[in-house]
Amino acid sequence: MTERLSTNGSSETILILNDIQKTFGGIHALSGVSFDLKRGEVHALCGENGAGKSTLIKTITGAYIPDGGTIQIGDVSYEVLTPEQARNLGVGVVYQEFNLLPDMPVDENIFLTNPPMGRVGLIDTKARANQAYQLLERLGAHKHINPNELVKNLTVGEQQIVEIAKALATNAHILIMDEPSAVLPSRDVERLYTVVQALREEGVGVIYISHRLNEIFDLADRVTVLKDGQSMGTLKVAETNNDELVRLMVGRELTDMYPPADVEIGDVLLEVHNLCIEGMVFDVSFSVREGEIVGLAGLGGSGRTTIARAMVGLAKIDSGEIRYFGQKARMNPASAARAGVVLIPEDRKAYGLILDQSTRFNITLPNLPQLERWRIILKRNEWDPVLSAIEEVQLRPPNPEMPSGNLSGGNQQKVVIAKWLMARPKVIVFDEPTRGIDVGAKAEIYTRIREISRQGVGVIMASSDLPELLGMSDRILVMHEGRLAGEVPRDEASEEAIMLLATATETEAETVVPN
Amino acid sequence: MAITYEDSQEDAALRSNRWLAFARDNANILLIYFFIFLLVLIASIFSDRFLTASNMVNILRQSIVLGLLSIGQMAVLLTGGMDISVEQVSRLVGLVVATAFAASGSNPALILPLVLGGIFIGLVMGGINGVLITRTHAVPFIITFGVAFILRGINLAIATTPIRGVPDVYLNVYDAKIGIVPLNVIVMALVWFLAWLFTTRSRPGRSLYAVGGSERIAMLSAIRINRTLVSAYVISSTFAALAGLFLLARTGVGDPSAAEGLTFQSIVACAVGGISLYGGRGSIFGTLGGVILLTLLANFFNLMQVNIFYQQLLLGVIVLIAVAAYKTKDLGAL
Repeated sequence: MTERLSTNGSSETILILNDIQKTFGGIHALSGVSFDLKRGEVHALCGENGAGKSTLIKTITGAYIPDGGTIQIGDVSYEVLTPEQARNLGVGVVYQEFNLLPDMPVDENIFLTNPPMGRVGLIDTKARANQAYQLLERLGAHKHINPNELVKNLTVGEQQIVEIAKALATNAHILIMDEPSAVLPSRDVERLYTVVQALREEGVGVIYISHRLNEIFDLADRVTVLKDGQSMGTLKVAETNNDELVRLMVGRELTDMYPPADVEIGDVLLEVHNLCIEGMVFDVSFSVREGEIVGLAGLGGSGRTTIARAMVGLAKIDSGEIRYFGQKARMNPASAARAGVVLIPEDRKAYGLILDQSTRFNITLPNLPQLERWRIILKRNEWDPVLSAIEEVQLRPPNPEMPSGNLSGGNQQKVVIAKWLMARPKVIVFDEPTRGIDVGAKAEIYTRIREISRQGVGVIMASSDLPELLGMSDRILVMHEGRLAGEVPRDEASEEAIMLLATATETEAETVVPN
Repeated sequence: MAITYEDSQEDAALRSNRWLAFARDNANILLIYFFIFLLVLIASIFSDRFLTASNMVNILRQSIVLGLLSIGQMAVLLTGGMDISVEQVSRLVGLVVATAFAASGSNPALILPLVLGGIFIGLVMGGINGVLITRTHAVPFIITFGVAFILRGINLAIATTPIRGVPDVYLNVYDAKIGIVPLNVIVMALVWFLAWLFTTRSRPGRSLYAVGGSERIAMLSAIRINRTLVSAYVISSTFAALAGLFLLARTGVGDPSAAEGLTFQSIVACAVGGISLYGGRGSIFGTLGGVILLTLLANFFNLMQVNIFYQQLLLGVIVLIAVAAYKTKDLGAL
């Protein structure tokens, strides 16, 4: 690895992983992966779920001891690295799940494990507040975040910055960020970029894991692609492109991901008239027909998700109405599900699956009435549809009794889809159908969604992923600040057209008459 | 199991893994039955009266009151709640029914209406607990604790000394036998079977797990949250009422100290049996194991004529050991 970085004068290498091997019960999670990180560099790591990203990260943090290979941090080479050593050598991690105590102030959270001590063995609270301020200043966030504020009063984006500051408080100069943008509303991603830039300029080496390829192009200097536990190569971001990365990750071109839109569109299933919700959505009207996939686009906070949730009664409607199959609907999730309108939510853990319970339990949960005989759920009534549902969505592993929490994100999403498909819905509302899911599973889910629509089901797909909306939707509704800014039919849809509407100024916004 | 696989290799691996997976998924339950086995072994070494048919039947009969309370408690624990009022409900039912018998001059014709009346008290108390919890959204522990205190006051107002006057016919039902097996043990076995059927193969039973696992997801899955929560407390109190009626038959008097300490024991039986105190996890086989384990212990101590103080102490230690043997994650905070 002798290449020099064009974007940064310094090429001092601070971390070298050499030929790392790791097997779990005979399965090669990593087979001979090499990786290096330079001072002041953002090195992206991408690959499908199960490609070995997490395993690689855990060998750097000392959580896993590799079966072979060496880890060199600074000038010293290690075969065995303990978590404590890694921390002392300056390895910091920002996980997707924050490890912050919500009822404690920012500065206490930042210095939770190593608070500055005063003379008599008590914590020097003044020094702690000052040092916290300095850390936040380094991240350019001292104006937004008060060190004395309780963490629970911060936005998710601000909490993430506190989490980064916490990692830096242990003098980390190797910072690992595990899908940092996945938890952020889109307006906060910009600020995250600023923070990462600040870290880079300071000379911190950042390992940046993301499913969103555009972030890699925005932020990273180099990118390493993992596939099936092997490195597919390290590329300079300036010298590669989207298609090449996707090809390296999955061995297929991006265009294959979306199934063709060849479905005949039928009668109106769901109509929304002049919907107003909790000061977040104003006067929105649209409809969905049989076999149609209606995309719902908009920036974060535009009301996109609120509308998706309102379709099944999960938001308080101030005025206007939602009609299912021409009739005014009773708006609560149970009635909606019985009527045949279901929501497949964004946050699988909070809204989709009970992770402790088996796949069988989760799939059948909303469908128990159809399995009953004399009020008893018969075993054969339960197992046959569960096994066929598992086969239909190609769940891996296809074990109905495995707790859903043990499945990968993509497979969890498949279980959520299987759960609602079994209810034979007439309208399915997807909110961010592929968030946090690897590219291969995404393609399978797109195929599944198109097949659902082919059966005459109406689909509403709310998403922040523009390529996905463009690839899947028959038409795209664009939200802007709670209002419908416009509607783009499939053959006129482009990222530019949508972004123009989504960021529209007053004059550009147009009123759309519902059909 | 009605699974038919056609693929060979992958699925053969899956099948052989299934036994491992079964052992892993049910480690809690296997562990408790291992403890039971160990205790039977030790007890039969120490006492030659322990492993006799009559003592085994006796143990089964002794397990009935705790079993009834624990089945009810399990329903509540599965939703993530806790019912502190069960022993007071048992006591109230015993006292009210005994008072009515005494006032009517031990009239056997009143048995059926009074038994139904006792069950009705259980239904009502459970309804009160459930409605208070779903309306106030307060912690179930606090609500049922408050209700327990109110009932305690009522119970003390009804009687401070045992009430006599329960008709002999009522007591005879308790002693009825088929062969050497008491009728009540057979009925209790049926109750356990129905509890298994309810928790695994009925919609309200699955709902308990779903609500305890995640209220939000249960709601999105068309489960009625409040109805499920109220039903859990109604089940709990109704089983407490049945326990009270059974205790009345066993002791023959309305006892103002009946069921003392059984609330705690019912929670311990469930927790030791692997019912998560966070809700959403656990199996009826675990609860059954917990009940049998606690009953065996009490029986063994009695045979060995262990002083009641040491009994309490040893019980506490064994509970802690059993609980520590599980991962804290599985059990919740006990």
